[in-house]
Amino acid sequence: MLEATGLMVFYENMLALNNISIRCGVNQIIGVFGANSAGKSTLMYTLSGIMQDIQKKEAMAGGERITLMGEVRYMGEDISGLKPSQRARKGIVLCPERRRIFNESSVLENLKIGGYLASSSEARNTLEYVFKIFPPLARLKKRIGGFLSGGEQQMLAIGRALMAQPKILLLDEPLMGLSPLMQAELILATKGICEEMKLSVIITEQYARPVLPIVDYAYILENGSAVMEGSKQELMDNPDVRSAYFGIEESYE
Amino acid sequence: MENNTQRRKERIDRGIKVRTDGIYALMSIRELSYLLLPRLVLILGMLALPLLVPGMYWQRVITITCIYALLALSFDFLAHYVGLVSLGGAFFVGVGGYMAAIMNTTFGLPPWLTVPLAALAGGGICTLLLLPCLPLRGVYFAIVSLMYPLFVARLIEALNILGGTDGITGIDGFSNRWAEQYFIIGILLLLLFGVRRLVNTDIGLVLRGVKDNDQAIRASGMNVTLYKAMAVYIASVMGCLGGACLAHIYMWSGISQFALDFSILPIAATVIGGGGTLIGPVLGCLILVPISELLREFGTLRIVFYALILVAFIIFRSEGIMVYGQRKYQQFERWTRI
Repeated sequence: MLEATGLMVFYENMLALNNISIRCGVNQIIGVFGANSAGKSTLMYTLSGIMQDIQKKEAMAGGERITLMGEVRYMGEDISGLKPSQRARKGIVLCPERRRIFNESSVLENLKIGGYLASSSEARNTLEYVFKIFPPLARLKKRIGGFLSGGEQQMLAIGRALMAQPKILLLDEPLMGLSPLMQAELILATKGICEEMKLSVIITEQYARPVLPIVDYAYILENGSAVMEGSKQELMDNPDVRSAYFGIEESYE
Repeated sequence: MENNTQRRKERIDRGIKVRTDGIYALMSIRELSYLLLPRLVLILGMLALPLLVPGMYWQRVITITCIYALLALSFDFLAHYVGLVSLGGAFFVGVGGYMAAIMNTTFGLPPWLTVPLAALAGGGICTLLLLPCLPLRGVYFAIVSLMYPLFVARLIEALNILGGTDGITGIDGFSNRWAEQYFIIGILLLLLFGVRRLVNTDIGLVLRGVKDNDQAIRASGMNVTLYKAMAVYIASVMGCLGGACLAHIYMWSGISQFALDFSILPIAATVIGGGGTLIGPVLGCLILVPISELLREFGTLRIVFYALILVAFIIFRSEGIMVYGQRKYQQFERWTRI
């Protein structure tokens, strides 16, 4: 469905993504794991097209020169040159890192902004669905976004992304700063969304343990390069992955 | 994917730039001249300017340019190092001008005394009046600093105080035109290098912190309003200095010194020169003020040309001349294979 080949991103002379190729099939959940500065967010920005926007702004302001290379194909069509808004219209919707909800709008308004492109019946149905999977949001409908707790804000951010009628949902570190309980809840919800709305999800996270059970296929990034990839089972069986991303130390005989 | 055919442009610091960052700068003539050349070009260029231009008219233009440059410097300092967008250039000039005029006509102080006194006292008055909006963030400072010059001008007009619409006349001029020009050029250079130094001291760091994240500054136990007030004082002293000089140059002080030109032109100069570089706005004034004099022949169309130049700059070189120039001077580019 979404296929990126040979993605390279340079921030000035620093290599942020080194020849990354990832694939995401229909109705799959793809995991991307890596430490800070591994290039997870850069990858998400590149897939969603936001990187082109950043590139343009930096060039206008005389800041860093960002070089983009590689190809992103979506349903067989080359979308490497498309703007983020055009990609969102095609169904590639990013739920950004640190949530980035509209702090001064209420929960309902936030969701409505997300559903701006959808037809009104789609928006109504999705709104109902969002309130069904995230009951706290229905209760806090009138609350101003900035006053929500971290977990509620994350629910809102995912809900807002869903309102845009995505076919591929890009979740950038959705678990950041959440309690383990909330993490489990969100991951379960993500799984449910993927199944019920028939969409694909690409999810990045630093700590693989809570996420790995729901992914179909995963990539591990390190300093901008994909050092490993495989299905859930392959990764779980790998001793390096177990120690680095699960915190399980192997006992050495 | 044919990786070997792909190339990208690489930007690298020049070796000499890296060497001159450290103590090595003192070791060779080449490194020393790399550092000194741009500064010397500026200083000697400014000093030579009054000798190079033809006639009294253009010499006067240069003095006015320097006054605008002072305002642009104060705008750039406030906007890019403290995060306060000030539209109060006209207010600073007006207050400085009237202070100098009163000191000179009422108390009979000579110009070399009124200019610094008017600057220091005027800065105090401006800071006090702007103090109420300093604890706030956002557009409030810009709006209040825009309203004050209008407010004071109408007040003087309506109450007929301080000479009313005629202004204060009979102010002493500078002893001769050379003294006038070199006095202002000297002040401008001194303040330019002074402010550059200031923003790199510890206080400068705190001020930049106020711009970036005032909550973190507060959490570090520093009074944000106090630091903002200090910065506003420094900026308004620069503006008042310009105003005081202006009053002595025209030997007159009136409500046209509260004209919005003094607020707007420095901002335009900052856009053209490159914000945050301090020297950029000064260069911007050196370009814009003479251009606006040249365009005077076109009458009211002058503003049209002026606006076109500004828009073109914002579209094609929004980084500003100085940022662009610094990059070309310090870095080189080459194509590399990936």
